[in-house]
Amino acid sequence: MKAKPYWNPYMAGVLLGLTLLATFLIAGQGLGASAFPKRVLATVGSEVVPEWTASNPSLGMYLEDDSNPLRNWLVIEVVGVMLGGLLGALSAGRFKPTVEKGPRISTRGRLMYAAGGGVIMGFAAALARGCTSGQALSGGALLATGSWAFMMMVFAGGYAFAYLVRRQWT
Amino acid sequence: MTEAIFPLLFGSEELRLLTAIGLGFLFGFTLERAGFGNARKLAAQFYLHDMTVFKVMFTAILVAMVGLYSFSAIGLLDMSRMWINPTFMWAQVIGGFMLGAGFIMSGLCPGTSVVSAASGRWDGLMTFGGIFVGSFLFAVFMDWFPALGSLYSGGSMGESVLPALLHVPAPVFVLGVVIMAGAAFVGAEKVERIFRQRHEPVELGPKQTPRTARYKFAIAGALVVVALVATGATAPSLERPAQPMGEVAPLDLAQEIIVGNPNLVILDLRSENDSAPGIPGSTRITSDFAAQQLLNSAGSAARVVVYDETGSLELAPATWPAGLAYYSLVGGLQGWKTDVVTPAEPSGYGTAEREFILWQNQIAGFFSGAAVRPSAVAAPPVVAGGAKKKKKKSMGC
Repeated sequence: MKAKPYWNPYMAGVLLGLTLLATFLIAGQGLGASAFPKRVLATVGSEVVPEWTASNPSLGMYLEDDSNPLRNWLVIEVVGVMLGGLLGALSAGRFKPTVEKGPRISTRGRLMYAAGGGVIMGFAAALARGCTSGQALSGGALLATGSWAFMMMVFAGGYAFAYLVRRQWT
Repeated sequence: MTEAIFPLLFGSEELRLLTAIGLGFLFGFTLERAGFGNARKLAAQFYLHDMTVFKVMFTAILVAMVGLYSFSAIGLLDMSRMWINPTFMWAQVIGGFMLGAGFIMSGLCPGTSVVSAASGRWDGLMTFGGIFVGSFLFAVFMDWFPALGSLYSGGSMGESVLPALLHVPAPVFVLGVVIMAGAAFVGAEKVERIFRQRHEPVELGPKQTPRTARYKFAIAGALVVVALVATGATAPSLERPAQPMGEVAPLDLAQEIIVGNPNLVILDLRSENDSAPGIPGSTRITSDFAAQQLLNSAGSAARVVVYDETGSLELAPATWPAGLAYYSLVGGLQGWKTDVVTPAEPSGYGTAEREFILWQNQIAGFFSGAAVRPSAVAAPPVVAGGAKKKKKKSMGC
């Protein structure tokens, strides 16, 4: 089966914007992604190394009110994102266990790059208190000062390093 | 004004949590259909031959921003109940740059890595796994390196939003963003056309947006702008309201200075070209940003007293941190001079007034350098004209 084409970017943008707007109007907050790993870590940490986790400046705040850190809007939302992504891909005939890469790099090399980029982004999102979803997209729509600074710097960082990693793609 | 019904589920946490799965589903579905489950398509943004990331992201920001500010302007949305990303300038500037570097390595950002993994991409799964490791490393490094902690909380500006920061009315600012984004879209189409010819195009979904479709989007965009101008003209906005201030009489302030209240913060807000010396211990404020920085570091118990030349200040700017106690000096610097530095000699008075004048003169002596720290000043007479009028501010978010 041939995959359906991607949506027109502007139409996709309008639908994404309406989803984001609905989120603000209903839930009183924006969308996000990077809270999920941090809250999972806080949960695991509270079982394995409870004292260290509770006193950690980055993770302890999720344990403060004694409730389950996973009982949280952003955590449940990310589960929804997984389901939405899965159904979107299935219904478009695009679900396929594969690795996205250019012809000049091995699968193993590409996976190393992907994991390395993930590590850097996990660190960066924890530092910036949000990622492209929570800061750039959601904070951007609110016109939050730091979110716009963050967004500009994401593009700056991407363009700055694009040349170095080009062999992954072409 | 209409009653603010949004955010709809404010305060009903159970229901709110239930909506997360549905809204997340829409988010993930839209990202997938836009092509954001594909690392090659996302990475192409940084090689300029496919600007889909920019187009989708900015269209979404525009739609949500216009919606938010319009709903707020017509009074349907209560922005004080909205979670607004607090600004920590340094953390976000450096974190943003790092995240951009990770983005081009992975070809995915955290949200899209979830979608990519969900659509079967192993590179998406590796990225998502890497994010856990990175978050963990950050937590560990926060323990090991105190400097990282100061970077994490560096440049705190509170819930700062650009229109308030730049003193531009919100509807005007929103309109400006819409117009600039429109220009940027035109530019993005041009850039794509140039770079697609140079690079061998990677097959990444629909080609150029067809011309007719572009006209449709241009018309839709223009309608949005018209709607925005219509709503924006009606009312204020997401800008948080300015905060009410209490009042403090010059003599009371003088006494606090002498006693040495450690929580006292005095801000001199006179215009820059006024070179006369201000009240001892006050900080001359020349920019709102400087004031915000000072106040953010002042601690929650701060008693902030502001003054200008004549005491005309009634409201603290919305950009200042909420929850601090703000006071305006009655009469401003002039009031200070007439009451504290050079009190007038009144004619005819009883015992109470005499006591008051004695107290006043002692204070004057302290500030004009004529006397040492007076012992009596710690106990002001109750009769005094400058009875304290402390209004406890109840604003907060």
